[in-house]
Amino acid sequence: MDIFNGLLLGFSTATTPENFLYCFFGVFLGTAVGVLPGLGPIATISMLLPFTFGLPIDTALIMLAGIFYGSQYGGSTTAILMNIPGEASSVVTTLDGHEMAKQGKAGRALAAAAIGSFFAGTVGTLFIAISAPLLASFALTFGPAEYFSLIVLGLITSMVLTSGSLLTAFGMALFGVLLGMIGTDVNSGAARYTFDSANLLDGLDFVVVATGIFGLGDVLANLENERNRVASVATVSSLFPTADDWRRMSAPILRGTGIGVLLGVLPGAGVLLASFSAYALEKKISRHPEQFGKGAIEGVAAPEAANNAAAQTCFIPMLTLGLPGTATMALMIGALVVQGVQPGPEILTQQPALFWGLVVSMWLGNLMLLFLNLPLVGMWARLISVPYHFLFPVICVFIAIGVYSINNSVFDVYMMALFGVLGYFFKKIGAEPAPLILAMILGPMAEEYLRRALLISHGDATVFFTSPLSLGTLIVAFLLLLSIVSPRFRKVREEGLQEAD
Amino acid sequence: MKLSQDVLLGLFFTTIGVGSAVMAASYPFGTSSRMGPGYFPVIVSSLLVLTGILVLFRSRLTLGAIPEIGWKPIVVVSLAILIFGLVVEPLGLPIAVFLLTVVSATTSEKFRLDWRAFAGAAAFAAFCSVLFVELLGLPVPIVGNWLQGLGL
Repeated sequence: MDIFNGLLLGFSTATTPENFLYCFFGVFLGTAVGVLPGLGPIATISMLLPFTFGLPIDTALIMLAGIFYGSQYGGSTTAILMNIPGEASSVVTTLDGHEMAKQGKAGRALAAAAIGSFFAGTVGTLFIAISAPLLASFALTFGPAEYFSLIVLGLITSMVLTSGSLLTAFGMALFGVLLGMIGTDVNSGAARYTFDSANLLDGLDFVVVATGIFGLGDVLANLENERNRVASVATVSSLFPTADDWRRMSAPILRGTGIGVLLGVLPGAGVLLASFSAYALEKKISRHPEQFGKGAIEGVAAPEAANNAAAQTCFIPMLTLGLPGTATMALMIGALVVQGVQPGPEILTQQPALFWGLVVSMWLGNLMLLFLNLPLVGMWARLISVPYHFLFPVICVFIAIGVYSINNSVFDVYMMALFGVLGYFFKKIGAEPAPLILAMILGPMAEEYLRRALLISHGDATVFFTSPLSLGTLIVAFLLLLSIVSPRFRKVREEGLQEAD
Repeated sequence: MKLSQDVLLGLFFTTIGVGSAVMAASYPFGTSSRMGPGYFPVIVSSLLVLTGILVLFRSRLTLGAIPEIGWKPIVVVSLAILIFGLVVEPLGLPIAVFLLTVVSATTSEKFRLDWRAFAGAAAFAAFCSVLFVELLGLPVPIVGNWLQGLGL
C-alpha cells in the first residue's frame, strides 16, 4: 500500500465518530493528568490505561497515543506556569518559559510552545508515514543477531541518558531484566523465579511494575514534602505572539523539529535528548546567547518543537521493529499486548487500518491540542492548584482499579503496592528507575534473540560482529559508552540531567 | 561501614544478584548453541552481583547520605491498597474505593476525620462505580460475593 492510500485509509479510520471522540478524550485526559505536578507521562498512561480496556484495538491505541502527547503537552504547561517540569523532557522549557512567565509573557510562551509543538507534530507524523513502511520492509530482513544488537543499543542509550551514575543505571537495567525473566520460559516451559506461586507463572505484568514505581512511588514521595509544595501559578495574559515573536521563533522551530525527528528514532531516551540538544544548539548559534535563561522565546520554541517531534517519531522503532525506545513506549507495548496485538514489522501488513489510523490520529490529536490548550489554559491553571490532599487519594484509587482490571487479579494490586514502596526507596537512594522499566520489556526479547542467533550460528558469538548491521549498531553503542568517559560530554550530561527526574 | 546511598544500593544489587543466581543455577544451563532456561539468568545475575560489589566499592569514595524516609505514607498508603485488594472481591468496588480513599487520605496533615471526608469518599466511590463498571464496562463486582449471599 502506498502512502497516499495509506493516509486515506487512516483518515477513514481516525475520523469515525467513535475514534475521533476517543482521540479527543485521550488528549483531554492526558493533558488534565499531565498538568498535575509530579505525574509524568508514564504515571499518566498507566493510570489511564483501564479507560482503554473495553475498547476495540484501534480505538484503544488511538486513545493511548492521545493520552501520551496530551501528557507531554501538559508537562510543558506546568513547566512554563509553575516552573515544575511535569516530565524530564520539559526541564529545559522551565529555563526560559518560566522566565517569560515571570515577565508577564506567560501567554506568549505557551503559544510558542503550542505552535512549535503543532508544527513539529505535523512534520513528525509525515515522517512516520514516509519512513515507517520503508523501515518495516527493511526490518523483515533483520535476523536475530541484528535484533539483539539493536536491543543492546537501546538499553545502553537509556543508561547513558539517565541521570545519576552509569553503574547504578546498569544495575537497575540488570534488575529489570531479571524481573522480566519471571514466569514460564517460552522455550523450555520451565518456571523461572515463580517462587511456586501460580500467580507468577504468566510473568510479572509490566504495567503493574510501571504503575507501582512511577504512579504509587511518586505519590509516596510527594506526600512527604506536602508542606513545601508551592502552588504559585503565573497569570496568563495575551495568548498571541507578536510579529517579533514570530520572526524570532520560526527558525528555531524548524531546527528543533529537525533534531527531534532524527533523535526520536534513536532507541533510548530520544525525547529527552532531543529537547536538550535543541536548546543547546539554539544557545550556541544565537546572536544573543546571553538572553538564554532570561526569557528568550527561542529557548521555549525550539526544545518544545524538538520534544514533540521526537514524541511522534519514537513510535517508529516500536511500530516497525516491536522494540520500545523509551519507557513510555514500553508501556504502550504493554498496553498493546494486553489488547492481544504483538507490535512488529508485520503490524503494517496485517493491521494496516490500525497503523494508518494511528498515524492520522496523531496529527488530529496535535491539532486538538492546539485548540484545546490555548483557550483552556485558564482551566488547566486552576487544575494545577488543586490541593494535593484531595488529589492523591483519587490517584491511589485510579491506579488500584487500573491494576486490578488488567487481569482481574488482586495479586497484581499487592505487587503494585510492593513496587510502589520499592520505587520510593529507589528515589531515596538515588537510583533512577527508567532503565529498569525498559529492560523489563527488552530483557526477555534479548534472551529470545540471543538464543535464536546462537542456535543458527551453532554457539559462535562472532555472529554479532560479522553481520554489518549488527556490527554497526554495536559500534554506535560502544561509542556512546565511551562518550561518557569524555569529561566534556560528562559535564553536559550532568548539567542536563541532574534536574531531569 | 557507614550507611550511605551507595551502601544500600550495592547491598540491594548484590542480594538480588546472589539470590537469583542461586535460583538460576538449579535451571538447566544448556550450551551456547542450545541455551537452557538457566543460561541467560545466570549471566545476568552474575553481572548484577558484580555491579553490586562495584557499587559497594564506590561507596567508600563518596558519601551520599540517605535522605529522611517518610514512613507514615509508606505504611498507611500500602495498608490502604492492601485493604482495597482484600475487600474488592468479597465486598465489591464501592466499599473498596470508599475504604481506600478514607484510609489513604489520613496520611495527609490536612486531613480531618469528619462527615465531609466520609461524604466525599462515598460520592467518589459512587462515581467510580458508575464510571468504571457501568460506562467503561470493566468486569469488577459492584456487589461483592459475600454480600450477594446475604440476598442484597
